[in-house]
Amino acid sequence: MDTSEIGRVQESFDQAVAHIEDLKSLQQLKVEYLGKKGKVTGLMKEMKNLSKDERPQFGAAVNETRNHITEIIEQKTQALEAEALEAKLAGETIDVTLPGRDFSLGSPHPLSLIIENIEDFFIGLGYEIAEGYEVETDYYNFEALNLPKSHPARDMQDSFYISEEMLLRTHTSPVQARTMESRGGKGPVKIICPGKVYRRDSDDATHSHQFTQIEGLVVDKNIHMSDLKGTLELFAKEIFGEEREIRLRPSYFPFTEPSVEVDISCFKCKGDGCNVCKHTGWIEILGAGMVHPNVLEMAGFDSNEYSGFAFGMGPDRIAMLKHGIEDIRHFYTNDLRFINQFKVTEDGGAKNESI
Amino acid sequence: MKVSKEWLQEFIQLDVPAEELAEKITRGGIEVDELKDYTAEIKNLVVGHVQSVEQHSEADRLKVCQVDTGDGIHQIICGAPNVVADSYVIVCKVGGRLPGGVKIKRAKLRGEVSEGMICSLEELGINEDQVPSEYRDGIFIFKEAKTAGEDALRALCLDDQVMEFDLTPNRKDALSMIGVAYEARALFGGDVSLPEYNIDEAHLGDDELSVDNEDVQAVPYYAARVVEGVKVYPSPVWMQIRLIKAGFRPINNIVDISNYVLLEFGQPLHMFDRQQIGSDKIVTRYAKENEKMTTLDGKEQTLKQSDIVVTNGNEPIALAGVMGGAFSEVTENTTDVVIESAVFDAFSVRRTSNRLNLRSEASSRFEKSVSHEFVLKALDRAAYLLQKYAGGKVTSQVISAGELDVEDSTIEITGDYINNRLGMDLTVKEITDVLGKLGLVASEKEGVLTVSIPSRRDDLKIKADITEEIARIYGYDALPSSLPEYSKITPGQLTDVQKKVRIIRHQLESLGLSQAVNYALTSRSQAGQFTEVNETLDLLMPMSEDHAVLRTSLVPHLIDNAVYNSNRQQKDVQLYEMGRIFIPRGEAELPLEKEMLAGIVTGDMHRTDWLGVKVPADFYAAKGIVETVFEKLGMSAHITYRPSSRLSEMHPGRTADIILENDTVIGFVGEVHPAYANENDLDGAAVFEISMGELLEKAQGEIIYQQLSKYPSITRDIALVVPSETHAGDLVETVRKTAGKYLNDVFVFDVYEGERLEAGNKSIALRLVYLNKEETLTDAEVEASYNPVVQALEAQGAHIR
Repeated sequence: MDTSEIGRVQESFDQAVAHIEDLKSLQQLKVEYLGKKGKVTGLMKEMKNLSKDERPQFGAAVNETRNHITEIIEQKTQALEAEALEAKLAGETIDVTLPGRDFSLGSPHPLSLIIENIEDFFIGLGYEIAEGYEVETDYYNFEALNLPKSHPARDMQDSFYISEEMLLRTHTSPVQARTMESRGGKGPVKIICPGKVYRRDSDDATHSHQFTQIEGLVVDKNIHMSDLKGTLELFAKEIFGEEREIRLRPSYFPFTEPSVEVDISCFKCKGDGCNVCKHTGWIEILGAGMVHPNVLEMAGFDSNEYSGFAFGMGPDRIAMLKHGIEDIRHFYTNDLRFINQFKVTEDGGAKNESI
Repeated sequence: MKVSKEWLQEFIQLDVPAEELAEKITRGGIEVDELKDYTAEIKNLVVGHVQSVEQHSEADRLKVCQVDTGDGIHQIICGAPNVVADSYVIVCKVGGRLPGGVKIKRAKLRGEVSEGMICSLEELGINEDQVPSEYRDGIFIFKEAKTAGEDALRALCLDDQVMEFDLTPNRKDALSMIGVAYEARALFGGDVSLPEYNIDEAHLGDDELSVDNEDVQAVPYYAARVVEGVKVYPSPVWMQIRLIKAGFRPINNIVDISNYVLLEFGQPLHMFDRQQIGSDKIVTRYAKENEKMTTLDGKEQTLKQSDIVVTNGNEPIALAGVMGGAFSEVTENTTDVVIESAVFDAFSVRRTSNRLNLRSEASSRFEKSVSHEFVLKALDRAAYLLQKYAGGKVTSQVISAGELDVEDSTIEITGDYINNRLGMDLTVKEITDVLGKLGLVASEKEGVLTVSIPSRRDDLKIKADITEEIARIYGYDALPSSLPEYSKITPGQLTDVQKKVRIIRHQLESLGLSQAVNYALTSRSQAGQFTEVNETLDLLMPMSEDHAVLRTSLVPHLIDNAVYNSNRQQKDVQLYEMGRIFIPRGEAELPLEKEMLAGIVTGDMHRTDWLGVKVPADFYAAKGIVETVFEKLGMSAHITYRPSSRLSEMHPGRTADIILENDTVIGFVGEVHPAYANENDLDGAAVFEISMGELLEKAQGEIIYQQLSKYPSITRDIALVVPSETHAGDLVETVRKTAGKYLNDVFVFDVYEGERLEAGNKSIALRLVYLNKEETLTDAEVEASYNPVVQALEAQGAHIR
């Protein structure tokens, strides 16, 4: 029995496969040897020329060669595939330091940020948000707030009147008057009123004929001035930092009695004195007081049974203090270089370091 | 109000430094705005006696003076024209200092040694326009003999600190030195002593003068006294300096006394020249409409019926409480004076002084209503001072008309009320002690306190006022902190609308638009733009043309914003604003305030330069943004778009009205008209404005999940050739209406217009997606619903390609 042909086939395969460098040639080689008309299959045709005894031995030898070739092709396939993948990846490598496709982000207005923060704090204390008209009647803007027509604190000069009885609201307090009135003399009332207000001021770095205000109002039985102090203390710590303290100074507003100005200890110098607090250690931030009995009565509340507190503050001023903004007009110019500085989400860490 | 500490001590003993006084007064409720120290920066200032004055041989304007400064005779060169021998002057000695960092050194002036400086009042830091005219161009000279070498600041009453109050309108009591003294007593204790006003009654007689008030509301009370034989000359130094410190300019003794007493008691007085009044009558009344009078500033005023005038029975001699008249004013030749001390209607004085822009120290006190208890005291005090410092003789009793109510009012209050309102636990004794310090006498009966209120504190009217007095004198530091205990617990939360507003804002920001906030006031010309509202709300007295009317669209200001940014190298602008527009509804009704959402996009969006890709900020960009808003609000199915050319500022071919529920136009989206853009130096912009009210109010309820289909959908594409002006939206609508219940979606997936089509035509390809969630759709079912669609489209003028 001559098996030399088998040896030759294997030898020629071994030689051929050594030169294969791509999967396509390998496939051809596979067909050339293992295909129906391939060389290995051809060897099997020799079988018929062999004796019965020789056949198994010859078959086994052919199979051995077939296995050998199959195995080599498989190995070679894997190697070539790996190589091809590597080449593909190498070709697909990009510069990951280039910027991503642009999905530009807009920025909230800084006043919205301040207002939302304050709203959320008071919502947490059970307050609702009440909104009202920007064009108000003289009655709700003044009279219902204990500012009768003869009151010295309401000079025509300070308000934008549209008619004798109609004006742009000078504060958000008419919302309080209207809300109280709508409750039919029953408490509790717990509201926060944010909104735009208007005064006859010439626009400059610290004045604006339009600005924002947030007022709060609580009316119920047994509301004490100490409740106002406690509420504002919590507020100051939440919005301006854990170590803040507050100080009440007597003041005057027609719609509250007693009335106070509320200072918070300076968040920049921690009370040591700096240019933000004008070297006093305190920053004036709020006006507040106990709702004037006349205001309660005009809104339909019995001022002997009910009492309440109210407070008001200016988000513009707070934003200026918090962010170190030097000119109030930035809020209304809508320069993207300004607004877009307020994209980043603020949190409790390292408060007010920007000033 | 400027309060001199030295002067205040005339009325109350105060042994505290000025800083402490100021701090305590501030914490007590009267804000001390500024504490001016007249001794600051001044050193070595003494009274000098000028012994001789000789002309400087080398300089015409300089004089060589020999001055005794207490420690010897020094030669001082002085340039003042009024320096004379044998006068007492202010000398800053060598080594001394003056305000403004001036150091006095031994010097040589044109060869002559000068050892010090003879000072003017300006050089001591006194405002030039407050210096009495006699010293205006020279040095200050004492009127009376002094001791050479004594402390000049003390001799001038300038060894002093002055507090400037920022007074709240309720504290008229602090517009007088005596009122401030009472406030100081409440804070520091002690006793208040009133100034002297003993009138020499030797010359009292019956003057012919009579007083009459025609209207008791205008002038409830008017009093006068006549002082004869006065001599007009400068008032004493201490009075001049006290007036200067209070912000007044000394004029002469008569005028100064009037001002001085005003400051002491807070009661404005007026001095008439008795002879010049022109009659023996003083009659007060309301002015006649268009009545004319010349006030002492020389201006002719045209009066109104609401003004109060003091007349001689015929013509006005003063505009009551505001300003005296010209012809009756005190002059250098005046010998006999009528002093007026009256109560005028506060509101009327305020209205008059505001209208004529004549706000004065007098009017600012009258308009807060004067304290009745001081009206006659001030009158007598002025008469006394004229007697003492003007050589006058008081020749009349008080001549008066009207009623002067000097009775204390009362307020009843309980300790429980005060404690409940404050959240404190004060005893009745603690409460009455505080009231006592304020000079408010309180008597207690069965727990009820009856508090007497003198007229100087007639700002105290109700229980809450007493509560405040207790709180502020007791001190807010003593107030405990607590949180409210509500009668009912209610949750705090945003309303649905408030939630939606926040969500839409955040969504627009995520889409790349930044939030703008613009003024609601705008110019008349801008108010008519981007809107069909043609009526505006106009301010009665606008401050400028730019802010004269309320806006009727948010878009014009957004255009301004885009221009502003574009001029600062920011061409890609994406802004939105949520705010109101104002639509008039007549004088009797408040305007309609519509909550609007508007936006502007210019340049490019999503621009990745290195890839060369971007989204143009065009109609479709703006529309895409708007569509996300409707999607988020669950309103997409209720919204349609219709071509619009109603707004002249918008591109007539690239603007759509946004329509809610097939009938209500709630806004528009589009590109601005190229001509408008050009006028505004913009390369172009796409804008939108939507009325939010209806959208936000529409209840969405909760989301009910829909089961996911287990069956596949089938798609059918239709390519149509239609006339160019056909709207894809109409074709889609037709499909929706005719495709039957299995139509799950339909959308445009290709639009072509070009050479492969006949001119005037375009091709639109629609993809229809069919789905039956219950079972597998058969082709037959799809075909059955497909045919009516084709027919309907063809009926609309479309040809299937």
